[in-house]
Amino acid sequence: MDSLSFLIVSLISGAIAGTVLGLVNLVIVEPYLDRAIGIEVQHSITAGEEINPVEHANYRFWQKGGEVVAGTILGMAFGSLLGIVFVFGRRIIPGSNVKKALVLSGIIWLVIFMIPAIKYPANPPTVGDPDTINYRQSLFISFILISGFTALGLSIIYNKINLKPLFKLLAVSFIYAGIMVGAFIAIPPNTDEITVPMDLVNGFRIMSMLTMTVFWIILGITFGLIWDKLKPHETAQFKTV
Amino acid sequence: MSFRKQIQISETKIPKAAIGLLIFILAFSLFIVGYDQGQLFSLIQGEQAYNDLWIHEFSHDMRHAAGFPCH
Repeated sequence: MDSLSFLIVSLISGAIAGTVLGLVNLVIVEPYLDRAIGIEVQHSITAGEEINPVEHANYRFWQKGGEVVAGTILGMAFGSLLGIVFVFGRRIIPGSNVKKALVLSGIIWLVIFMIPAIKYPANPPTVGDPDTINYRQSLFISFILISGFTALGLSIIYNKINLKPLFKLLAVSFIYAGIMVGAFIAIPPNTDEITVPMDLVNGFRIMSMLTMTVFWIILGITFGLIWDKLKPHETAQFKTV
Repeated sequence: MSFRKQIQISETKIPKAAIGLLIFILAFSLFIVGYDQGQLFSLIQGEQAYNDLWIHEFSHDMRHAAGFPCH
């Protein structure tokens, strides 16, 4: 396999999907962030802090630019993950490379985004005590690692056992569900109190879930299309006949 | 008469170095976007980086939107 084109497929597809995520978030998620930050600013003013509106507006403009850049970086991270999974998993899934990449990105979305989001849903600014950030990050990482490594282990078992694919799929799905239900019960919840209106929190969570889901779909399709274009798994050789 | 013919070979060999590089990019990029609380810039700025939180603030909106814990 050609390493350079493999790296290009992984990183470029991730960068494209991540940049789109950042731009879409500017339209769909930002209104919720602005509203939450507005509440945060009001709390600061009430507490006696002086906020310069022009400076604050410039700061928010800078942060919104950062959202697109961070989207590109995050996309490259997840493009890298999809690339690694694709190299090992592409022979298991039938069909075109686009279909394979879409199925695998769907599995990754479920394992490292959707399941963890049920346990620890996204929160807008003002929700979350700064003093508990390390604790909350530890819980979040632990849950993702349990989910990810469980899926990795089960995918290895899936490849080793000699049964009909449907039976194997059902077996590993049940085992995964069992382990994750156990983790869901065993790992403590986020105990930070929510003091902002729930319509803001719920609206933000729905939009966050929507844009992240669209991101994984775009990533899968883009990855498959670029893979088809560059064909990292094929090498050209010349033979004299 | 002989001629050269191009043939396509499908290789199954795993590109280990490329995978190693992608694992590094995955971990480093996730740390930047989702977890840095001043650690990276503290290598240059020292303790001040934990107050400024430049990377945290720059990736702040995406950190929230992508579901990472923040604040």
